[in-house]
Amino acid sequence: MRTRRLALTATFALLVASLLAAAWLAARLFVVERDNGLIASLAAGHDLAISAEDPPALLFARLHFLITRDRLDEAQPLLNRLAAGEDRDLAVAALYDIANARLRVAFNHLESNRIDPAIPLVRLAKDNYRRALVLAPGFWDGKYNLDIAMRLVRDFPQIDLEGEELPPDAVKKLWTDLPGLPRGLP
Amino acid sequence: MGWRARILATLVLLVLTVSPALAQLRAVELYAPRAFGHVIGDTLTLTAEIALDAPFVLDPASLPPPRALNYWLDLREARLEDHGVRDGVHRYTLDLVYQTFYAPLEPRRLTIPAVALFAIEGERRVPVEVPAWSFLMSPLREIVATGPGPAMQLRPDIAPRPLPTTPLIRGLALALGVALLALLLLAWQMGWGPFGRRCSRPFARAARAIPSTLATAPGDPTLAASRYARALQALHRAFDATDGKGVFAEDLPGFFERHAAFRAAEAEVRRLFEASRRAFFGADPAGAQRELPPEELVALSRRLRAVERGTA
Repeated sequence: MRTRRLALTATFALLVASLLAAAWLAARLFVVERDNGLIASLAAGHDLAISAEDPPALLFARLHFLITRDRLDEAQPLLNRLAAGEDRDLAVAALYDIANARLRVAFNHLESNRIDPAIPLVRLAKDNYRRALVLAPGFWDGKYNLDIAMRLVRDFPQIDLEGEELPPDAVKKLWTDLPGLPRGLP
Repeated sequence: MGWRARILATLVLLVLTVSPALAQLRAVELYAPRAFGHVIGDTLTLTAEIALDAPFVLDPASLPPPRALNYWLDLREARLEDHGVRDGVHRYTLDLVYQTFYAPLEPRRLTIPAVALFAIEGERRVPVEVPAWSFLMSPLREIVATGPGPAMQLRPDIAPRPLPTTPLIRGLALALGVALLALLLLAWQMGWGPFGRRCSRPFARAARAIPSTLATAPGDPTLAASRYARALQALHRAFDATDGKGVFAEDLPGFFERHAAFRAAEAEVRRLFEASRRAFFGADPAGAQRELPPEELVALSRRLRAVERGTA
């Protein structure tokens, strides 16, 4: 009978299709588990070489590894790749993390009263925060840290005072009034 | 539109009371979000509803391109929607999405500048102005930190997260489940394993038994006749088992109605019953074997097995 044979063929096709799907998913799962292992070992502090073809999550893990060790120059190409990539959340996270890292380095400079090297770092950090906020306008941590960076740069003399809202003579005064920074001075 | 309170700033330009140059512009209505409580990085969507006198159209080239307007304000997007002409009025909706990056130390009033557009009709150009809009921006932090911890404590980094595996595992389980179901279905359809007993196939059994039943040494007509009769009986038992009761020649129409698949072999089945009638009731085994020779009986049993399996 035709319908019986048709049903038999359909069942067989379903069996083959589901087995193929299962094989593909198992292969994907294997790859993802391997990547997760690499992400975990990067997080545990083992430096692993990452190639450009690796998934964005792995690139981000490596970027995070680099910036937590102040290797910002090596992290920049990874940031460029992530910022241009498809994954918006990872692009935001990469921009935000690298901006945080730059700001932390700038803080270190400021604590030693080295203002000149700190200024470009703060400006780069501001730019990264802004790019992160363009991608995710509701990203509160990014807003908060950008606010910190904005007040820092606003208070420096002799630069293009982005976000300036105080007369220039008030600038230096406010800086020394800011609590906590610079630390260790009389 | 959603959560935010819209404040309607209406600029209605009455056609009869303004200069002739503006006569083609009926009205520009500006719908804005709340005018306070915005912080750094917020997006603001201004919606302007523009009504023009019919032959005039809004010049798409006069739309502002998305760009940084000044150091604190970006125009992210400008969407123009054309609602077409109705009652001689051409209506448009213009959505302007701005993003502010101003970092105020205290609540501060800022102004999004007016947008100048043009309505055109042939050589004539009429300016259309989406009015400026001002709003209050609020600071995120106090000027002098009084909270616990260092003054300029950054919000923490976003740590790398492992890739999600749950959807893959779920998909894999689903695929394997479907495969198992398909396998069970296939086994049921093919009568494999435990399903073989459940969907017992009387004709398959008869087809298996008949050739050996008929096998006989040549030249022994009595024995051959009795074996032929046993083969016929085997096939009749298959009919009985299939129908659940005894099937006689007069029951055949009902049988074919209940088991329509066997109609394909109706002529042969009728010959089989005719042969049986001769063999069992007519006492004419030779006539029966002429009606349905043993080879054809074997062939019929195989045919009926195929019909039963559904592969005839």
